[in-house]
Parts: sequence; structure tokens; C-alpha cells
Amino acid sequence: MAVLKENNLLNSLSQMGVGLGAKNQAFELLKGMEFPTRKTEDWRYTSVKKILKKKYVQFNEAEQVDLSNEIAPPLDAYNIVLVNGVYSKELSDINFPDEIVVDTFPNALEEHVSLIHSTFNVIAKNNEEIFTALNTSYFNEGIFIHIPKKVKLNKSIHVIHVNTKSNVVSNVRLLVVADSFSEVSVIQSFASKNAVECLTNSVTEVFVKENAKVVLDKVQSEESNNNLICTVQVNQKANSTFKINTATVSGDFVRNGVNIDVDGENCISEMNGLYMQKGVQHVDNHTKVSHLKPNCTSFELYKGVLRDKSTGVFNGKVIVEVDAQKIEAYQQNRNIILSREATMNAKPELEIFADDVKCSHGTTTGQFDEEAIFYLQTRGIGKESAQALLVEAFADEVLDKVDSEELRIWIKEKLG
Amino acid sequence: MLKVKNLHASVGDKEILKGLDLEVKAGEIHAIMGPNGSGKSTLSAVLAGRDEYEVTAGEVDYLGKELLELNPEERSWEGIFLAFQYPVEIPGVSNVNFLKTAINERRKYFEQDPIAAKDFLKMVKEKSALVELNDKLKNRSVNVGFSGGEKKRNEVFQMAMLEPKLSILDETDSGLDIDALRIVAHGVNTLKSKDNAAIVITHYQRLLDYIIPDFVHVLYEGRIIKTGGKELALELEEKGYDWLTKAEA
Repeated sequence: MAVLKENNLLNSLSQMGVGLGAKNQAFELLKGMEFPTRKTEDWRYTSVKKILKKKYVQFNEAEQVDLSNEIAPPLDAYNIVLVNGVYSKELSDINFPDEIVVDTFPNALEEHVSLIHSTFNVIAKNNEEIFTALNTSYFNEGIFIHIPKKVKLNKSIHVIHVNTKSNVVSNVRLLVVADSFSEVSVIQSFASKNAVECLTNSVTEVFVKENAKVVLDKVQSEESNNNLICTVQVNQKANSTFKINTATVSGDFVRNGVNIDVDGENCISEMNGLYMQKGVQHVDNHTKVSHLKPNCTSFELYKGVLRDKSTGVFNGKVIVEVDAQKIEAYQQNRNIILSREATMNAKPELEIFADDVKCSHGTTTGQFDEEAIFYLQTRGIGKESAQALLVEAFADEVLDKVDSEELRIWIKEKLG
Repeated sequence: MLKVKNLHASVGDKEILKGLDLEVKAGEIHAIMGPNGSGKSTLSAVLAGRDEYEVTAGEVDYLGKELLELNPEERSWEGIFLAFQYPVEIPGVSNVNFLKTAINERRKYFEQDPIAAKDFLKMVKEKSALVELNDKLKNRSVNVGFSGGEKKRNEVFQMAMLEPKLSILDETDSGLDIDALRIVAHGVNTLKSKDNAAIVITHYQRLLDYIIPDFVHVLYEGRIIKTGGKELALELEEKGYDWLTKAEA
């Protein structure tokens, strides 16, 4: 309790009732929890001290904002806009195909109470992750997306999070339920406009039912001085496919957690990440894929370029449970460091309890391939252009995993 | 075109070139032969501007410029081309995109506008035909997944695209079968003119059946110990290097 009282972050928050008992449970849970320190294994290289010390303002009504292409990628998608953490009806699309549900929890609860109660907060790890418990306690209205059986949405759903005032704290919550044989692509973009010192704490829960396919693209282009914590919790059932792409373009403090429970046979899980940092930016990617059932494949590719005094963390955990035979799990983390003062901490972790598996992991952190630079120079490509060409080629391998061409182009332009 | 005088170069503490002299005029082809470790590859690396090699003495005049003062890209813009013994693989950078960047950087250096897409494509088509490089390879990542022969053909394709004044072919024949050798040599011979020159560094006489040199130099322990006409290569093929190196010792 002592920790909570001294904490400006918590003092800035107030609870919204949205008719979900889980919020109160999480609030009670929160009272007994402590924020991580550098001694907490999962936060060894990422300090939250500065984030907790700041004073924040919580908004409960949506502001008007002009969403230029600069802020969020202009995609041919259904847009859902949250301004300072609050759903904006004016800026969001409201005409969705009849069969799907895209709405705030208070609205969605009227018709879909049993579905929400059987899914919401079921896979979120409130008792393990304090920022998840914090989110559950304090999120505003949240967004619920339901894609019923066999529905294949040909247009993406783009959830845009934008902060427009300085010192805003927003807890944003998304729940995606993709029923069997359905397909959906969701994009979450995080940005700010003329706002500094904000904290966005996002939790996304995704259910990928039997034979369903869900793609989640996360695009993080916060202005400097903003802080972002994104936790994605996924549950996959048999024969399903889930792919998540995380592109971190900017932001001084970014922590991404991706946890996938592969709870069915013949699943494909894919996690890709790209981070390009400069200045004093800090990006931490923690991923965990738990193979609970046999005959599944997971792929992971995270790549980063670190300049100036930036710091990066990659921690990728692959767990193969004892009954999960015939698993193939591939993990790669590659980093290029372009400055003596930049630091990368990379840690792959494999915990394999089954005996018939094929797992590989590799992590490299280094400078440019000098041979390649010299080769390009001898062809008349100056050193800087040669480096730019190699950075682009390095990043393209991850960007190619993003299905939408317009999104790929937007990210590329943002990366410069 | 190129005047190398008393060139000394080292890697770390080890001196490899120990007073090398060489003069190459426009329109000439010079072959440099010599046993392993004599400094052949060091010479090509120094001329191309690799910075692991430290030039400790001597000078290199290239078209009136002090070559050693230029960085590798400036040398390229000024017309020097090095065909690598081991062409470097560059994943993710397409062959064509890379050449377009190279050509445009040079055009920028000479204050010219970027090459028009149409002209560039026409040039690619024409020059790749010269070394029988197919479309698939042109669009793939630079040298990635290329066979040994394809890599060398790609080197000559790049040479054709960049139209150098002085080409240095560093053991271009190594790892080539006879057909690839013929294609590579055909490319080099076609590009030859009275205005450009080539230095062909090779271990074996074989390449010189196809690319006929005006001069053959024997490099040994960092210096040129013998210079002759094309018949010297044949003599070396027959007698080896011993008769020369022993005389030297």
C-alpha cells in the first residue's frame, strides 16, 4: 500500500464504472501489488521509475482532433478512434457490416453480455502484470470486437489511439473475439499530437478460435517524451493462425509484451517486430509463446537499428509443454548498433519439456557488415548512402511481413 | 592513366607491398601474375581504397590526381572499378536498385540529373545480355544465392553498367568453369576500348587465353620482378615461378 500512495501515476487515476465486475477485482488485486524495479527479472533493463513519478491527467470525454496522415496511417479500413484514451463517436466509423460487433463495452454489454463475460479479462494476467491490473481497473470504455463464425472481414479494423494533451494518462482496452473459421485484420496505431509526457497503457486480448485467422499490426509512432506500454494477450485454438507485427517508429519509452497461448493443435503463430531508435529512446520487446498442444509452428523475427544513446531490450521466451510434441519454433533477433553509446540487451529463452521438437533461436547484435559497405563504395555509393541502403534492406525483411502495402509504405516513410 | 611509384603497403605490422612500380596507359591490358601471398590482392585492395591497408610509402597518380587521397566512392566516380575475387552478398538490396543508386550517385557527383527510368532499363537490358545474366538474377538481392560463375558474371555486368576507365579484375577466373570463363572474358573484351584500361590479376595463364594482355608482370614478395609480353604468361605456365623467384633470392 505504501508504494501506491507515493505513486503519482496512481493518484492521477479515477475509476470508470462500465458494468464489469472484473474491474473491481483488479482494483482489489492492485492494492496488494508492487511496481517492478530493476530487480524484477522481467524489468531488469527497463526502469519505470520515471513513469511513476510523473503527474498525469485522466480524460473522460473525447476531444476533437484533426487526424492528418501524419498521425495515423491513412488506411482503407474501419476506423475506431480513441482520443486521450476516450472513444470518440464523432471520429469513429459506426457503419459496420451487420454480422460483426465493434463497440464500447458499455454499449456492447446490452446485447452481448454472456459473450463478453466469457471472454473479457479471462486471459489477461492481472495477477502477474501490474500494468495489466492497472489497465483493467482504470480503462475507460474499452472496445469490443466480435467476428462471428465464418465471417471474413475484407477490410481491416483500425483502432487509432491518439493523445492530444500533455501529461495525459490513458488506459486503453481492446478485446477481439474471432469465432471459428472467421478472419480479421486489426491495426492498432499509437500516436500523439502536440502532446508530451503522456502515458498510454494498452491491454489487448485476442481470442482466435478454431480455424480462425487474426492479424494484428501495431504501429507505434509516439512523439518523443511519451511513454507507451502495450500488452497483448492471445489465446489460439486448433487450426488457427495468429500473426502480430509490431513496428516501433518513435517514442522515448516503449514496452511491448506479447503473450500467446497456443491452446490447440495445428496452429501457426507469428511474431514480428521492427524498432528503429534514436536519441535516448528505449524500446523493450518481451514476447512469450507457450505451446500447450502438439503439432504447431511458431515463427518470430525481431529486428532493430539503434542509433545515438538509444537502448533496446529483446526477451523472447518459447515454452514447449511436455505434451506438445512435434512443435517447430523458430526465433530470431537481429540488431544493428550504429553508435558507441547505444545499448542492446537481447535474451532468448527456451523452456522445452517435450522431446520431439524442432526449435531454433539466434540473436546477433553488431555493426554494419564492413565488407558490404566497402563493396557498395567501390560501386560509387557513398558511405552514408551505403549505410542507408543496408538499413533499409535490414528493415525490409520485417516490413515485408506486413500484409497491407499502404501500411508498409507509411511505416517506411515514418522511418525516413 | 595510372602511375604507381615505389608503393609500400601493410596490413597491421606486416608489410606486403615493398616498392611496387607500375604504369598503365589507356588502351592497354596488364596482367599481374604471381604465386600465392605475393601481394596481388593487396594491390587491388589498395587501388580500390580499402582502409585496412595502410600505405606507408610511394604514390599513385591516376589521370593527374593523387589516387590515395580519394575515398573508395570517389575513385569509383572517377572511373576505377574493382571486380572482386569474392563478390559480397548483400541480402535485401536488389541488384538493379543497387546499380541505379550507384549510377545516380555518380551522376550527382558530376552534377547531372538522375538517370531516366527508361534509359536505365534499356542499359540494364543491353549490358546484362553481354554476360548472359538472366532477368531473375538482375532483380534478386546482390549476389545472394548466385553460383560462383553467376557472381563473376554479375561483376562484369556491373562493370559494363558503370563504364569504368580503369578496371581491376581480381582473380576473376577463380572458381569459374570454362563456359563462364568464356562469357566473362567476352564481356571484358567487348568493353575494351582505346580510352580505357584493365589490370587483370590472375594465378593462371588460362584466363589470358581469352583476355589477351599487352603486358604481363610477375609480382613476388611485394615487387614486380619481371615484365614481358603475353608470351611471358606461357613461359610461366610451362616453367612455374621458381626460375624467377630463385633468381630473385
